[in-house]
Amino acid sequence: MDLSFLTVQVLSALRQAAFLFLISSGLTLIFGVLNILNFAHGALYMLGAYFMYWITLYIVGTGGFLLALVLAPLGVALIAAVIETGLLRRIYMQEEIYQLLLTYALVLIIDDLAKIVFGPEFKSIPKPDVLSGSVTLFGGTVPVYTLLVVILAPAVALLLWYLLHRTKTGKVVRATSSDREMADALGINMSALFTLVFAFGAILAGLGGALAGPARTVFPGVGTEVIIESFVVVVIGGLGNLWGALIGSILIGSLETVGIIVFPEFEMSLIYLLMVAVLVVRPWGLFGRPLKVKALSEKNLAMEAQEISPVHFSVHPAVRWAPLLLLLLVPLVTGRFYQYLLSQIFIASLMAVAFNLLLGTTGLLSFGQAAFFGVGAYTVGLLATKAGFGTLPALFLSPVTAAAAAAVIGFFCVRLSGVHFAMLTLAFGQLIFTVAYKWYGFTGGDNGIQGIPVKPISIGGLAGIDIGSNQAMYYFVLLVVGLSVGLIRRIRSSPFGATLKAIRENGQRASYLGVNVKLYQWTVFVIAGAFTGLAGGLYALMEKAISPEIIHWTKSAEPVFMTIIGGIYTFVGPAVGAVVYIVLNSYLVAWTEKWALVLGLVLLTLVLLLPGGVVGFVNEKARQILGKSGCIRRWSFSKSAK
Amino acid sequence: MVILEVRKVVKSFGGLRALQDVDLSVAKGEIRAVIGPNGAGKSTLFNVMTGLLAPDTGNVVFDGEPITGLPPHRIIRKGIGRSFQITNIFPRMSVFENVQAALFSHHGTSRNPLSLARGFTRIGEEVLGILEQVGLAEKYDLSASVLSHGDQKRLEIAISLASRPKLLMLDEPTAGMSRFESRETVALLQKISREQGLTLIFTEHDMDIVFAISEKIMVLQQGAVIADGTPAEIKANPEVRKAYLGEEVTEK
Repeated sequence: MDLSFLTVQVLSALRQAAFLFLISSGLTLIFGVLNILNFAHGALYMLGAYFMYWITLYIVGTGGFLLALVLAPLGVALIAAVIETGLLRRIYMQEEIYQLLLTYALVLIIDDLAKIVFGPEFKSIPKPDVLSGSVTLFGGTVPVYTLLVVILAPAVALLLWYLLHRTKTGKVVRATSSDREMADALGINMSALFTLVFAFGAILAGLGGALAGPARTVFPGVGTEVIIESFVVVVIGGLGNLWGALIGSILIGSLETVGIIVFPEFEMSLIYLLMVAVLVVRPWGLFGRPLKVKALSEKNLAMEAQEISPVHFSVHPAVRWAPLLLLLLVPLVTGRFYQYLLSQIFIASLMAVAFNLLLGTTGLLSFGQAAFFGVGAYTVGLLATKAGFGTLPALFLSPVTAAAAAAVIGFFCVRLSGVHFAMLTLAFGQLIFTVAYKWYGFTGGDNGIQGIPVKPISIGGLAGIDIGSNQAMYYFVLLVVGLSVGLIRRIRSSPFGATLKAIRENGQRASYLGVNVKLYQWTVFVIAGAFTGLAGGLYALMEKAISPEIIHWTKSAEPVFMTIIGGIYTFVGPAVGAVVYIVLNSYLVAWTEKWALVLGLVLLTLVLLLPGGVVGFVNEKARQILGKSGCIRRWSFSKSAK
Repeated sequence: MVILEVRKVVKSFGGLRALQDVDLSVAKGEIRAVIGPNGAGKSTLFNVMTGLLAPDTGNVVFDGEPITGLPPHRIIRKGIGRSFQITNIFPRMSVFENVQAALFSHHGTSRNPLSLARGFTRIGEEVLGILEQVGLAEKYDLSASVLSHGDQKRLEIAISLASRPKLLMLDEPTAGMSRFESRETVALLQKISREQGLTLIFTEHDMDIVFAISEKIMVLQQGAVIADGTPAEIKANPEVRKAYLGEEVTEK
């Protein structure tokens, strides 16, 4: 390895680290003060790049490049300030999931708006001549722009250090970051501080975008790629820790550069592997410390108390079984389209209901469920195509392999809580995704697996039942999903389920009941993983083709959406959410291209106005209206002796 | 018979010695108060005894078995109950479910994922029995989050009692209660201790309560035991008077 090569590679790594640092420093600053992990930070980065594009093109010209570099981030800050005061401010007292989801909704909305305003195509931002050349450094050719980036980022880091340590506002920010309650008690104006920090974080994201734009390209959705990398950086460094973000950026920047040279196939896997490794050794990141778990009592429970009415109501059996009867009759009167649509809904429902066993019942936000869905789907796909397994044996093994994966992943994840738990599940999920995506020899790589055979089912030597037709597949999926959902419902109403609820409400108190909290969390993680794997197996049978996209983290977000749409603290909520999500998706995609925008607005509205979801809302109203009619009975305990 | 023995427990946080060679010996059925000014190490001692913190050195023996450094859930299984200074309940569950969850754990039913929770009528009756004991039976189907502060404290005691402890540790059981509520709660604790032979260890700021119900009192100051004895001995102890009780005792 000669010096010129080394110089080029080191500078390339530093450039990558510089971009990462600009974005993740803002992300971690916002988390430190506001306690919100801002999904929309990538979207703000994208806006920075678009503003750069727009300003250099129409206002200052390429000659005003440096001026545009100042103006673009300020534009992003303005938008961020509007977002903070108009939206974020309303949900600071809510549970984490709502905060994450609100910023995720913003991603969907901003991405689609960018598509409308700037067009769907890739844009490149021209650099002025001074910055487009290259220089020779130790025999290696280095673009001038790279030098600008690697000089500017440390300058920003220094400036940040100065602002945080030498100015009064900076000291307030640091104080708030280390103890929010105390800062509040000292009479610091929290509202103004939150707006300021959010806008300042946005400036850093915007600057990252404005700087990276000319070096890379800009397109709607570019933020989604950037945000996951930034999550990895801040989680490795320790959430809320600025120097952690710096070290994390350098680590990831270097690893990416080395990875491309040494393991070009698995470069992305390396990043997630590093994150997993760091969190296994240091669960709170390199420089992080355990987050103060906020007691539920400190949060805004008044509103939620009505959502989770602890009193049991039982619905008249006729009301409960009528939908199932209807579903059995549907294929007799409808064609293939509706059978397929409903089968899709069943599978999504199973995934969502299983997911909510974690979120709604136990209080664990998993952002990696797609991994188990994928493991289940690939189990069926590989066994059926490569090992000649029959339909039932292959499907039977899908929850088994998924449960095994969940057992390993869950072992590490349950040591964490809150957003850390979510991020570690995300990292494991992405690790599995990158492997499936690149391992051509085994998983077929990005081609996936096509032509999965669905052999006739034979039970105990009986004549084979062919489930190849749409209608037969519909009944088969309905049967498997119906039984599974019934089983999950049973688990939720069992003493085990009651214990999970206790863990959700107050983990510490639960351990003082003699409950081994981590063991229970691990167990339910494995159970949810198994059912998710089964859903994946069904998916493989129904679609007869799978691709690694089903493991991507955006797929993990789907059960989250469905659950929030339907209602997190109800059993049928996630299933109803699945109906809404898939129906909206199917019809909107056919009708308009603005699917993400609509979904984003729906989520935004729900988080702000109906945090109990559709079913939570309907339940509440139904109890009020039908409570007296006898259709809904209030459960009361009566002594058996009487 | 000695039920709990704490021997030479040391616990430091950084440079701060929170507990220095603390010894404590509690007899079965005894009502024992642990008092001391804020920061004396009372809560730290409780956390060490119930497994939330592991001591640096020293050990804790409960009912003849060493429990030093065991996690809370294992210590609870051996027969120690605990209530907290800050009310620690399951807010979005009903009063009934709060106690039910505790009983499931106690009876080893928590692991059962396939039976209906409400099908366990025996346990249900037990829940009501405990709720009657603490005076919450009428409110069994309310959400715990809507109870008054006093009722929430009572609920927490009910949860602790549900694991049928031999020893119950209460960290300021009357904190934040009205005078009237405090009296009621204290009477309740005394009654339970008497009827079931339950050993109680509690911390408390209200000296009237401490001297009214304790059989023995231990005084902590800056992590060290400065006195340990009957209420009369404590009242007479010059060091305690000087260091802690001061005015309050001389007045009476």
